[in-house]
Amino acid sequence: MAENVLHLDRVTMQFGGVVAVNGLSMDVNAGEIVALIGPNGAGKTTAFNVITGVYAPTNGQVDLFGSPMVRNHPRGKMKKLYAGEDPDAFRGQALCPTPDKITRLGIARTFQNIRLFCSLSVLDNVLIAKHMRARHNVFAATFRLTPRVEREMRQSAEALLEEQGLTHLKDEVAGSLPYGLQRRLEIARALATEPRLLLLDEPAAGMNPQEPHELAAFIRQIREKYNLSILVIEHHMDLVMEVAERIYVLDFGKLIAQGDPAAIQDNPDVITAYLGVDEE
Amino acid sequence: MNFMQANLPYLLAGISVGGQYALIAIGYTMVYGILRLINFAHGDVFMIAGLIMIYAAAAMPLYLAIPLVLIATVVIGFLIERVAYKPLRSAPRMSIMISAIGVSYLLQNLALYVTGGLSRMYPTIPFISDSVTIGSATTKMVTLITPVLTLILVVVLVLFIHKTKIGMAMRAVSKDFETSQLMGIKINSVISATFIIGSFLAAVGSMLYFTNYAGVTPTAGAMPGLKAFVAAVFGGIGSIPGAVIGAFIIGICENIIKGMGWTTFSDAFTFALLIVILIAKPTGLFGEKATDKV
Amino acid sequence: MKKKTANLISLGLVAGLFLVLFLLEQVMDPASMLFVVLKKGAIYALVAVSMNLLNGFTGLFSLGQAGFMLIGAYAYGILTIPPEARDAVYQYFDGGIIQFALPVPLALIIAGLAAAFFAFLIGLPVLRLKSDYLAIATLGFAEIIRAFFQWDALGPITNGSNLLRRFPTFSSVIFPFFVAGLCIAIIVLLVNSSYGRAFKAIRDDEVAAEAMGINLFKHKQMAFVISSFFAGVSGALLAMYQTTVQASAFKSAMTYEILLIVVIGGIGSISGSCIASFLFIACNEWWLRFLDNELFIGTWQVPLLRTGFRKVVFSIIIMAVVLFYRQGIMGDR
Repeated sequence: MAENVLHLDRVTMQFGGVVAVNGLSMDVNAGEIVALIGPNGAGKTTAFNVITGVYAPTNGQVDLFGSPMVRNHPRGKMKKLYAGEDPDAFRGQALCPTPDKITRLGIARTFQNIRLFCSLSVLDNVLIAKHMRARHNVFAATFRLTPRVEREMRQSAEALLEEQGLTHLKDEVAGSLPYGLQRRLEIARALATEPRLLLLDEPAAGMNPQEPHELAAFIRQIREKYNLSILVIEHHMDLVMEVAERIYVLDFGKLIAQGDPAAIQDNPDVITAYLGVDEE
Repeated sequence: MNFMQANLPYLLAGISVGGQYALIAIGYTMVYGILRLINFAHGDVFMIAGLIMIYAAAAMPLYLAIPLVLIATVVIGFLIERVAYKPLRSAPRMSIMISAIGVSYLLQNLALYVTGGLSRMYPTIPFISDSVTIGSATTKMVTLITPVLTLILVVVLVLFIHKTKIGMAMRAVSKDFETSQLMGIKINSVISATFIIGSFLAAVGSMLYFTNYAGVTPTAGAMPGLKAFVAAVFGGIGSIPGAVIGAFIIGICENIIKGMGWTTFSDAFTFALLIVILIAKPTGLFGEKATDKV
Repeated sequence: MKKKTANLISLGLVAGLFLVLFLLEQVMDPASMLFVVLKKGAIYALVAVSMNLLNGFTGLFSLGQAGFMLIGAYAYGILTIPPEARDAVYQYFDGGIIQFALPVPLALIIAGLAAAFFAFLIGLPVLRLKSDYLAIATLGFAEIIRAFFQWDALGPITNGSNLLRRFPTFSSVIFPFFVAGLCIAIIVLLVNSSYGRAFKAIRDDEVAAEAMGINLFKHKQMAFVISSFFAGVSGALLAMYQTTVQASAFKSAMTYEILLIVVIGGIGSISGSCIASFLFIACNEWWLRFLDNELFIGTWQVPLLRTGFRKVVFSIIIMAVVLFYRQGIMGDR
């Protein structure tokens, strides 16, 4: 059996009285491409934000490579307000690392509404992602005492741009790129952090019908090349069915189905969630 | 009892100054609630109101001068918003804050030019400048009038905000700027109304405040302005009752510190309080928490 | 190859600049306004660039610059007054408790370090605050620092609310140019390094920067401490220029002026901050002086011209830049 990369154990995220993610458990194994789907507002992006440390979950635990990465239980005001399950299952020391620590542990992400460093050049965007792994302190970097580190950063950043076909645009301002290229740059930037697990938040949003097909091929290609596991949120069913090996379906924050693409396609709960209940 | 007796004058002065800060603080808190802008120029509007009073009182009887000061200050507040803030509505927040600092700089320099750098005598307003004796302390009438007048104005303002249509629009805009714009609220008139109310209260505050001082200098507004802002943050920015309570607390603490002989630190105390509040409870006593969407 | 020639050219330009300054000092009247502008302009250029590092490059809207200059100025003054002069300076405090004097270069560095140390402490709580709260908290800290330095109980060190004076100063314009130029060059190197890129990433999008593995607090703290270091050095230079130091001069109005210089030059532009500093000082101290003097053409008095008019015109120009010319002189180049 393949090594477990990411394991969510009954993760609940509650904002005030609203339970955005409710007791979500899921797994991503080494080398897998897993999709997280569900109607708008089902809590998919919230789940991403919990995994990447943007939000500390209200309750639950997230493991990375078998060791606990995030863990929390209802505290403070949430003690009374908590509306999810298992309020006592995760008592004990809470563990809420900031997003940069999680990135350092090997999880990279893209954003649903593209968040590039818009005023900086395309190359700088990728170089920034290399900053974390570069071994030089501020003094050495300022006085250029470690030219080799800087050179290596540049080389690998340029290689990533090359791979995305962005080399000729490397000095352009990132904010001026067309939408599709911004998405590619975001992926290049995420890869630059040298992740083991890549989270893609709606990578096909805004694409025309043929493009998702190319994107599927590309996702498989980077998985091979960088030895990645990939978790993808997507609305484009063509892409999901083509690329995902397993699928989790969220609705109103709860997991309603999981399985391989064929099984999900025929699952009555999923069809109901997407198309609504037939009242006849 | 001895403590009370020794500190009564400071306590009274504190309540009085607190009321004056409260009147300024409301202007800060309302503008921040709606525009998310620290209106750095507000303290200087307060100072300008003091200067107008000096020149008006020299030229005409007080019953004309006082309304003139109120009207002129309101007009200035309105114009500042239209000229310096409105063009920057879609600009980054830093730009509009810088514009506010620019206006503050301009107003101070204008005051310097008009006064020639000399401190001008503030006119004596009969009745409120009269002396009264309370217990062991002798003080001016203004000390007693300020808290009463402040509370009356605050009650009127709160009623205005909760009972009138424009007040409702103000609350809507401070909750959600974009949505209320989409709902057909005339954003610009709401913002103007906010500045008008804020400037009016600052003008009233300035009459009460400067009565206790010999004169008005071009930088006389900066410190009370900053302290009123701290009061607004302390109470929870955007909340009117919060600003008023914060202002009274700051006014009283500051004067008691002066009473203990730590005058050097009376200003520093206010800022220390600010920093403690920002760290312990950034939303202040009555503020609401806002979360950013990722 | 190209980079090497570019480096040579800039080196040549710098050498040329210092040569020109040297020659000017030989041929011109040392009391000329030009030298006032050059000296003060260089000092303001340094503090403006240090502020730009925070506001323009890291996106931290900090208003504490005057406070850090104050620390630098005091640290320099306290450490360099010759022991024989201390009895006269600290006349109310029995000559103070410090009875040694450090050499000027060392004192300049310590001035920067003192400011940086305070910035480190202040940064621990305030850098977690968001934009406008950060502005008001740093402004508040500057006021607290000012009160502390005027405190009588610290008199044996700070001389309380009295002047510090008789410390070593400079007379040649070369000195402030050299120190400020060196410091600005270091800031330029920093801004263009990997850390500088991380600062800019934080400015552009904090959430994305954090997702790229950038520790927000650590990098903000770093920018804050480094900026304050240079503000401290510039404070020390200002003390040398003024020949005296008094805490009451470092008011928030000073920070506002520096901020306006940054804005005029262009937020995020180092060359802009430098140019704007010289323009600002030149207008303020020299070119617009005539506006302060009453002027008669024949018997007709030109209206409006009298004391203070210069500052009014000046602030109107600044407002015009803020409102209509938002990128400043140099944009973000």
